Amino acid sequence: MLRAFVIILLFLFAGEGIQQLLHLSIPGNVIGMILIFLALQLNLLKLDWVKPASDSLTRYLALFFVPPGVGLILHLSLLQEYGVPMSASLGISFLLTLLSTSAFLHLSPKKK
Amino acid sequence: MLLGVLLTLGIFFLAESLYKRTGFLLLNPVLVSIASIIIILQLSGFSYEAYMEGGQLISFLLGPSVVALGVVFYEKLQEIGASIWRIVLAVCLGGTLSIISMRLLSNAFQLSQEVSASLIPSSVTTPIAMGISTELGGIPSLTAAVVILVGITGAAFGIPILKLLGMRMDIIMGAGIGASSHGIGTARALEESHLCGAVSALAMCLNGIFTSVVSVPLWKLMEGWM
Repeated sequence: MLRAFVIILLFLFAGEGIQQLLHLSIPGNVIGMILIFLALQLNLLKLDWVKPASDSLTRYLALFFVPPGVGLILHLSLLQEYGVPMSASLGISFLLTLLSTSAFLHLSPKKK
Repeated sequence: MLLGVLLTLGIFFLAESLYKRTGFLLLNPVLVSIASIIIILQLSGFSYEAYMEGGQLISFLLGPSVVALGVVFYEKLQEIGASIWRIVLAVCLGGTLSIISMRLLSNAFQLSQEVSASLIPSSVTTPIAMGISTELGGIPSLTAAVVILVGITGAAFGIPILKLLGMRMDIIMGAGIGASSHGIGTARALEESHLCGAVSALAMCLNGIFTSVVSVPLWKLMEGWM
């Protein structure tokens, strides 16, 4: 478990390092995610080495979003200011994005 | 410090038990926890900064968890198989429509250019979204708030809506959730199944990259139409 956690932190560290060095707009954790996937795919890393930590971390992913979400408290007045028209735009656009992506997969022919 | 940790873990635990006991999909634990903690802070006069002394210990784990999604994706790659190209196309379609619709809607609702620019990347993970917002001349802090809002909306309503419309396959739901509601949605998709979560992580990643490449040229192009 400890080894698994250390390896995942190393990939996060590498991802953040690459992001800063190359001034990328993609966040370091997403780069780390791509790197760890590649390392597994290229057999540089064994699944057993990271699986204990990845399973428990992803099990609680939702929990880790709570504190940043509470950050909404800082923007309540800003959100109120733009209120209804903004929520309506966001809601409709969200629905369109969700439905167009899923419906494309639902309707496009599957090759087997 | 202890208080922030205790409050977050305690409320999340209660919210999760409530969700499991009632089975009511809209009582999403993230939505309920965030709303409850905001109300508690507002009523008690406790500041967000004081709360975050503990809260940041928990959100620190967000970084390694996103990396861990790469492992989940690797495990499910076999199952995703040839569908991967259809997922890429689907996300590009969703990402494009997201930008175009947001611009047209904010125009229709007479939102200012600045606000409109802040809303454009609302379906993309926070750090990417803030970067795009800055480039388009938006207000990055408004973008950060809006991204979280859309994420929570997606986590609470996304899967019920798709199921209602008969789109129940894990790959189909995962792609839609990841493309529209990034990490917070992906956390919800993972509860559905690991396959659903893996596809959602992929879609989040793809839409983040796609939107950061396409939004500026598309924004300028649409400038000409308006």
